[in-house]
Amino acid sequence: MKANVNVLVLTGYGLNCDHETAHTFELAGGIPSRVHINSIIDESISLDAFQILVFGGGFSWGDDHGAGVVQAVRMKTNIGEKILDFISKGNLVIGICNGFQTIVNLGLLPGFDHDYSTRSVALTYNDCGNFRDQWVNMRVNPKSPCIFTKDIHTIELPVRHGEGKFFADEKTLHRLLENNQIVLQYATRDNQPANQAFPDNPNGSVLDIAGICDPTGRVFGLMPHPEAYHHPTNHPDWTRLKEISKRNQNPWPPETTMGLALFQNAVNFFS
Amino acid sequence: MPNQLEITLNPDLADAEGQKVCQKARDYFGFELTSVRTIHVITIDAHLTQEQLTAIRSEIFTNPVTQISSYSPLSIDFDWTIWVGFRPGVKDNPGSTAVEAIEDQLRIKLGPNEAVYTSKRYCIKAKNLTYDDVDKIAGELLANDIIQQWRIISIQEWDKLIGTGIIIPSVKLDYIPTVTTIPIDSDQTLQKISAERNLALNPNDIPTIRSYFLDPDVSAGRAEVGLSDPTDIELEYISQARSDHCNHNTFRGCFHYTDRTTGEKEVINNLFKTCIEAPTLALKEKKPWVVSVLWDNAGAGRFDSDHYYVITGETHNSPSNMEAYGGSITGIVGVYRDPLGTGKGSKLIMGSYGFCVGHRDYQGELKPHLHPRRLLDGVIEGVKDGGNKSGIPTTFGQVLFHDGYMGKCLVFVTALGIMPAKVKGMPAEQKKTSPGELIIMCGGRVGKDGIHGVTASSETFSANTPAGHVQIGDPYTQKKMHDFLLEARDEGLISFITDNGGGGLSSSVGESAEYAGGCQVQLEKVPLKYEGLNQWEIWISESQERMTVAVKPDHLDRFMALSHKHAVESSVIGNYTDSGKLHITYNDKTCAYINLNLMSSGFPQWQFDAEWISPETRGLTEPVIGEPRDYTALLLDILGRPNICSREWITRQYDHEVQGTSVIKPLVGAERDMNSDASVIRPVLHSEKGLAFAQSLLPAYSAIDAYHMTSCTIDEAVRRLVSVGADPDQIGGVDNFCWPDIQFHPKKNPDGKFKAAQLVRSCKALRETCLSYGIPLLSGKDSMYVDGHLTGPYGETRKVSGLPTMQFSVTSIVPDVQNCVTMDAKIPGDLIYIVGITKNELGASEYYEHLGYVGSHVPHILPEQFFPVYKTLNQAITQNIIASVHGIYRGGLGVHLAMKAMGGNLGMEIDLFQVPSDGVNRNDTLLFSESGGRFIVTIDPNHQETFEKMFLDFPCAMIGKVTETGNLVIHGTDARQILSASVQDLKAAWKRPFGDLI
Repeated sequence: MKANVNVLVLTGYGLNCDHETAHTFELAGGIPSRVHINSIIDESISLDAFQILVFGGGFSWGDDHGAGVVQAVRMKTNIGEKILDFISKGNLVIGICNGFQTIVNLGLLPGFDHDYSTRSVALTYNDCGNFRDQWVNMRVNPKSPCIFTKDIHTIELPVRHGEGKFFADEKTLHRLLENNQIVLQYATRDNQPANQAFPDNPNGSVLDIAGICDPTGRVFGLMPHPEAYHHPTNHPDWTRLKEISKRNQNPWPPETTMGLALFQNAVNFFS
Repeated sequence: MPNQLEITLNPDLADAEGQKVCQKARDYFGFELTSVRTIHVITIDAHLTQEQLTAIRSEIFTNPVTQISSYSPLSIDFDWTIWVGFRPGVKDNPGSTAVEAIEDQLRIKLGPNEAVYTSKRYCIKAKNLTYDDVDKIAGELLANDIIQQWRIISIQEWDKLIGTGIIIPSVKLDYIPTVTTIPIDSDQTLQKISAERNLALNPNDIPTIRSYFLDPDVSAGRAEVGLSDPTDIELEYISQARSDHCNHNTFRGCFHYTDRTTGEKEVINNLFKTCIEAPTLALKEKKPWVVSVLWDNAGAGRFDSDHYYVITGETHNSPSNMEAYGGSITGIVGVYRDPLGTGKGSKLIMGSYGFCVGHRDYQGELKPHLHPRRLLDGVIEGVKDGGNKSGIPTTFGQVLFHDGYMGKCLVFVTALGIMPAKVKGMPAEQKKTSPGELIIMCGGRVGKDGIHGVTASSETFSANTPAGHVQIGDPYTQKKMHDFLLEARDEGLISFITDNGGGGLSSSVGESAEYAGGCQVQLEKVPLKYEGLNQWEIWISESQERMTVAVKPDHLDRFMALSHKHAVESSVIGNYTDSGKLHITYNDKTCAYINLNLMSSGFPQWQFDAEWISPETRGLTEPVIGEPRDYTALLLDILGRPNICSREWITRQYDHEVQGTSVIKPLVGAERDMNSDASVIRPVLHSEKGLAFAQSLLPAYSAIDAYHMTSCTIDEAVRRLVSVGADPDQIGGVDNFCWPDIQFHPKKNPDGKFKAAQLVRSCKALRETCLSYGIPLLSGKDSMYVDGHLTGPYGETRKVSGLPTMQFSVTSIVPDVQNCVTMDAKIPGDLIYIVGITKNELGASEYYEHLGYVGSHVPHILPEQFFPVYKTLNQAITQNIIASVHGIYRGGLGVHLAMKAMGGNLGMEIDLFQVPSDGVNRNDTLLFSESGGRFIVTIDPNHQETFEKMFLDFPCAMIGKVTETGNLVIHGTDARQILSASVQDLKAAWKRPFGDLI
C-alpha cells in the first residue's frame, strides 16, 4: 500500500495560488492541506505531519520591498529552525514564483554546503520592465538531481511575474552549473536555448535560468507555475492540439499534463 | 529622530524602471535622457537603535545580491534629482508593509506616533535640461500633484550630507471632532449650506428633508435624545443615500418623451422598473437557473447544483479621470468587494476591464487634466496591480479610443465570484440582519480619504471638484480580508455581509439596518488612521478595503479569532435593533437619530424632458463613395486603426491564469496573440463545467441611434459567447450605462433633451433585445455625467461629452470545457463558411469612420431570426464538428477574415460572391458592413455534409478554403481577385500602432 504523502500548501498574507496548487497535488496522489502561515507560527499546525512543503505563488505582503522579502523575514524570524529541521529530515520543499522568491530570500536556495540561510542568488525586476503573463518553453537539465523533474526533458508552463530575473555573481553561477543545480532554462519553441532573448526568456534571467535546486535535489524553486497546467485545457494551444489529434486519429485529451507530472514525481519520491 | 534609508540596484544591474522613465520622457516630451536610476527611499519615523536600524537595513530592505543601501544619501551620479513622495494622508501601502516587516524582524510594536513612509528619488543624467523641463518630467510623468509632492534638486544645489532632506508626510489634525447642527429655517438656507458643504442635495429634495425635521412627532422624538435641528452627520447621511450614484435617481426618473418628427408623445415612468426590472423578473420565471437578482451587491446564477456564480459590473470614471492609477486600482479592488459581499460571501473567480479614453497620440489643442496616453498608462497599471495582487485572473478586456472621452474617461470593472449553494445547510444566497446582531467593520481603517466621492461622481468634472476623494486601493489588505471572510462564512459565522464602497458606513450600515429594522452605532469604536476626524467624516468616509458584517453575539469570539489568524482588523461598532431608527452616538452622545423609512418615502421623482430627433431629421445620409480599387491597402490600414489593432501589451500585463482555471485565454491562436471572442474558466476545479464571459462596447452607433447601439452591443456580446461554445439558453447579462448629463439646461446643457431621448431609446432596446434573447439582467449600474470642461488654446473652456455608451457583459455555462472552440483557423484544407446575412449596414462603421463619414444605415438586430442560428451553431460546436468559430464584429467581414487567418498563421482563399447577403452588390459593403448575427466558421471537409444539413434552413454558405500559402486572397463579386496579403503583412499592420509596447 502506498504511504500517505501529506503536502502543506502555505496560505495567507496575499498568497494566492493555494487552491490550484492543493488541487494539483491531490491529482498527483498527495494529501494536500492549505495552511495559514500563522497557524504554523502559533503551532496549531506542525510541520512534522508533512512530507512536502509548498511556498506557492502570490503577492505576499503585496510584493513591497522586493518580492518574497517580507514573507522570508516573517518565516525566518518565527519558524526558521523548523524549516531547516524539515529539510534535514529528507523532506521536499518547492517554491513557485513568489515562493521561489521567498525561499531564495530565506537562503534555502542555492543551499551550497548544507548552508540553508545565506542569500546568494536573487530574483529581480524583469528586464522588460513589466509584469508579464505568457507561456514559456523550458529545457530540463538531465543531470540535475532535482526530484521534481525526474524523466522530464522539456516542459511548457506559464510565467506570471514582474520580478523573475534570476541573478547571481559569476562565482555563484559557476557553482550552480558545476553542481547541476540549474534545473530549468528558458528555451525557444523548438527547444533551443533562449540566449536571454525576449520573449522566449521573458525576464532577462542570466543563463536563461527559470528554476534551480539545492545540491540534494529536494529543494526546488522555479518562476513558472506548474499548478497552472494541471488540466489539458490550461495549455494555450489546446484547441489546436485537440483538432490535430482528432484529424490524425490520436487520442485526446492526453493522460497527464506537464505541471501535474512535476508534482507526481514529488509524491512518488515517498513511495 | 527619523532616519532615511536609500536603496538602489547595484550600479552594474540594468534599472528597468529607470529605462522606462527614459523611454516615456522621449515619447511624451521628446526629451533625450542619458540615464535614469531609481532610488527607493524609506523614511523611518520611529525610535530605533543603531543596532535595530542596521538589522532592518540588511535583513529586510537590502538584497545583498542586487542592491546597495545607506542611511545617508547614496552618491549616484546625476544632473538632476527628483524626489517624489505621497502627500499627507494618501495611502502608502509599502509604508504599511514596512511596518509589519520591521515589527516582525525586531519583535517590537511601533507606537501610535511612529510610522514608516516610502518615496522615490530619480537620478537623471541628461544634457541641456532646464528646471522647467525637469519639473515637467516630475509633474507630468513621475508624480500626480493630487496625491504626490516632489522636489527637484540640481547637481549644483545638491548637498551630499543632507540629500533631499527628510519629509514626514504624517497627518496631524490638531482638532477636536465636533458635531454641527444646521439651521433649516428656509429652503434657501438649506440650499446654501448644501452648496457650501458640498452636500450636493438636489434642490427638489430640500422641502422633503425640511418637512421631515419640522414634523412635530419627529421633533419630539429627537428632543428625547437631545437633538433639535439636523446635525451635519444626518444631512450627510441623507445626501449620500439620495445621491444619483446610490439611488439611481436618473434611471428611476420620469421621462417625458417626444418624437420631434412624428410628434408622438410618451411618458416612461422609471426606466429601471420598466426596462430592467420587469423583463428580468419575467425571465426569472422561465429560467430556473436565475438564483438571485436585483437586490444584492451582485446577481447570482446557478453554475451547478452545488455552486452559484455571481456577477456585477461597476465604473470608476471620475476618480480615474483625476488620478488614473489610484482611481482605477480603487475601482477594480472596489468591485471585487461586491461578490465578496453577495449572499453570505462569494469567492472571487475573475475580473475584466473596459477603458474608454481619448486617442493615445492626441495632439489637439484641448488640455485635459491628464493626457490620454498618461491616463491610459495609469489605468492599465492600476487595474494590473489591483487584479494581479488580488490573485484574481483578468480574463477579458476592452479598450476604446474616442476623443469624446477626454472630458471624462470611462473605466469599467467587472467581477465574478462563486459561492456554494448552501452554507451549513442554509441557502448561501440569502442573508439578513436581525435585532441583537453585532455590526462589525472589517479590514482597513478610516481616514479622510474618499470623502464626498459619491457626490462627486454625481457631478460634471470641474475645477472645483474636490481632489480629496481620490484614493489608492490596497489589494493586499483586501486579499487577507477575503480569505478571512470566506473561512468565517464556511463556519457559518456570517449572518449578513456587505461592502463599504460609495457612502462608506453610511450606506453599508444604513442599508443593512433595514432588514433588522434599526441600528445603534457607537462611532468612537470605528478604528481611525489618524485622530481628528469629524463624526460625519467617519460616517461617510470611503476609505477602502472594508466590509460590514452582521454576526450573532454567540459567534463573536470565533469570528475574532479567525480575524486575528488572518491578520485582519475587525471591530464591533454597534448592533442592529428593531427601533426603526438609525441611531448614532459618539462617546454616548447622540449625533444622529433618523427614521430608517425616511429614504423610502416622499422624495420627489426626478423629471426629464426627452426629445428624439430621428437621424433623417438630423440630416444624416449615406455618403457617396465610389468603390475602392486597392482593397489590400485599405484592409491593412483598417487593421492598424486604434480601435481594431492589437493591444497585446495590455493583455499580457494582466495575470489571466491565476487560480488554474484558464480554458480559453484572452489571447489565442498559433502565435498566442489574437483576441479570443470570449474567455472561459473552469471555476470549480473538480468539475469539467466552464463559465464563459464576454463583453462588448459599440458607442460609435450612438451617433446614429442609441437604440441600435444598444441592440448591436448586446448581439455582439451574445455572439462572442456562442463562438466559444457557451449555452445560449443560460446567458445572464450586466448593463453598464455611461451617459452624458441628460438634464436639460438652456445654457449648461442645451442638448440635454436629446441625450435623455437617447437614453430612453437605449433602455427600450435593452428591454426588447434581452427579452428576445432571453437574457435576465443579473446586475447593472449607471454612471451619468460623462462630461468635462476642457481648456482650449485661448483660455476658453469647452464642454466635451462622451458618446452615449453602454457596456454589456454576458456570462453563460459551458457544459463540458473540452468542447470549447477558438477563433483561429486550424488546418489547411478546412472549409470556410459564413453564417448570417450581410446587409447594406455601413452606418457608423469602422470603414466609414476611416473615410471620415458617419452615414445612416446603422445595423439592425433581428433576434427572432438570429437566435435559432445561434442555437444551431451551439449544437454543431457541442457535436465537435467545428474547427473554429469567430464572430464578425467591428470592422466587418474583411477585418475578421484577417483575424482568423492571422490566428491560424494560415492563408485563405475567399469568394465574396458566395457571401449570403441581402441587397448588397458592392465589394466594400460585403467586406466592411457590420451587420449583426454573423459568424465565420471553419470545418474539417469530412464534416461538410453534417454541417450543411444542420444549417439547411439558415443563411449559410461556403465562401472558401483555408490554405497553406499564408496569403489571404479575396475574389470580388465578379470573381476577380481584389485583395491579396500575406499573413505576415496583415499582422505587421495590425501590430504597428502598439506592437513595440511591453
